[in-house]
Amino acid sequence: MASSAVTNGQESPAATEPNSNPSLPEDLVISCLACVSRLHYPSLSLVSKTFRSLLASPVLYQTRSLLNHIESCLYVCLQYPSDPIPRWFTLCNRNLSSKKKKKKKSYHALAPISFTNAAPLEWSDLVAVDHRLYAICEAATSSYVSFLDCTSHTWLQAPSLRLAHTGRIFDEKMYLPGSCEKLESLNCVEMFDIKTQTWKPIPPEKRKFKPGDMEGKIVLKTNSGRKGFSLKPKEMTSEWTGVERDSVCLIEDIFYSYTSSGDFQWSYCKEAYEQRKLEGLEGLPEFPPYSSVTLVDYGGKMVVFWDKYLPSSWFREKMIWCAVISFEKRGSDVIWGNVEWFDAVLKVPKSYKFMSAIAATV
Amino acid sequence: MASSSTNKFVLKSNDDVSFEVTEAVAREFQVIAHIIDDDCAKKAIPLSNVTGEILSKMIEYGKKHIEEAPVDEEDEEGKKKLQIWDEEFMKQFNMEIVFQLILASNYLNNKGLLDLTCCTVADHIKDMTPDEVRTLFNVKNDYTTEEEEEIRKENSWAFE
Repeated sequence: MASSAVTNGQESPAATEPNSNPSLPEDLVISCLACVSRLHYPSLSLVSKTFRSLLASPVLYQTRSLLNHIESCLYVCLQYPSDPIPRWFTLCNRNLSSKKKKKKKSYHALAPISFTNAAPLEWSDLVAVDHRLYAICEAATSSYVSFLDCTSHTWLQAPSLRLAHTGRIFDEKMYLPGSCEKLESLNCVEMFDIKTQTWKPIPPEKRKFKPGDMEGKIVLKTNSGRKGFSLKPKEMTSEWTGVERDSVCLIEDIFYSYTSSGDFQWSYCKEAYEQRKLEGLEGLPEFPPYSSVTLVDYGGKMVVFWDKYLPSSWFREKMIWCAVISFEKRGSDVIWGNVEWFDAVLKVPKSYKFMSAIAATV
Repeated sequence: MASSSTNKFVLKSNDDVSFEVTEAVAREFQVIAHIIDDDCAKKAIPLSNVTGEILSKMIEYGKKHIEEAPVDEEDEEGKKKLQIWDEEFMKQFNMEIVFQLILASNYLNNKGLLDLTCCTVADHIKDMTPDEVRTLFNVKNDYTTEEEEEIRKENSWAFE
């Protein structure tokens, strides 16, 4: 008997013998799937209904966090012309047959997400906290905050706000100064604790704004209403936020920007006036001058989106391109950008609108 | 009680292959550790769900992880060495054996080997087509024809 097991195993490469593998029980299938990068989940959910539901199950995400397998996952929201409902996509890998690989077909794509329920139509800010994306409404009338659970792709609602006129969420806590509040006197402030999902008033002694008094971040709005500017009171450091298409992003303590002259620049957050050229970027193609460029923090790396007309569509369509760039500090004055990959990721109608791109950690 | 390096136990596979191992190696498998603790391990320990071939590989893994165990949490070099060995160790198996190792390390409860084997499968499937994954896991495509058509439409990004 021993010999039969031995011969069975050693002579047959799995690929040529379709049904020789023992079937795994569901919990072990989950253990395998938990080791796979989320980039492959959209294509793995095509395997079967069971796979699709396992890939969105809480157990899978518990297993991933037990294995400490947490990664950044990119979400993109686009608006198509004559469609009021924004479309959501996530960055994924395609599985290409070897024939297509030889043809150098692109390997990455933006896969459309189908949510289990309707996504909010309006929001002014999108903020990522762990595996949740909070869609925050600027409108004074709104008293709730919708958030997307990026594991199950379900939109949920955070408990209603009691006081807030304007909503901002960050880190573990979200502070909500009323829209007419001055920073120095935060009279009506509530704090949203992400962990317990509850709103709490800030104790009166902490309402007076003093650096170091509060945890989390406060988000201030610039006059244009397009770009947010957030302040971490404890460290007195600041950063950009905002949903508008923007050629600037903050990664750790460094601002990166793409200038109209076609250069990538960077500056330390504290000395934003001193711009330096981002070196390296070997292999990255030049972007067309009309291209809209978006930079996103992707877990310490930077994702760059740009678009290009597709001549084959008689210029009725554009192709969205995406690159991932990792950074290498070479001394205090030089940052080297390494292009990990770039790919054509999605074909869109030419007058689409790039609403937002943001990375959740899942 | 004799020290765990001299104390020996016999593990017996479901196809009657016996392996003599030190207590330390036997304890790498939690189920066996419980049997030893319950003092039920006087004679050979029968393992009804594991073949001799798989068991010998598991013992090889267990031995290595006892002999080359990193000195402490900070022993990065030791961890790295063991990790390289793990990778080499897995390279010798085809997927059928890997699947059997998953089942057996789950049954005998060795978390290290279970994680290693599951991640080997993960690495293998990440670039497979849905069809190839179905074959590997022995799963049926339970989408109906209409659903599949719908999915193909929705996921043209994957098929184009």
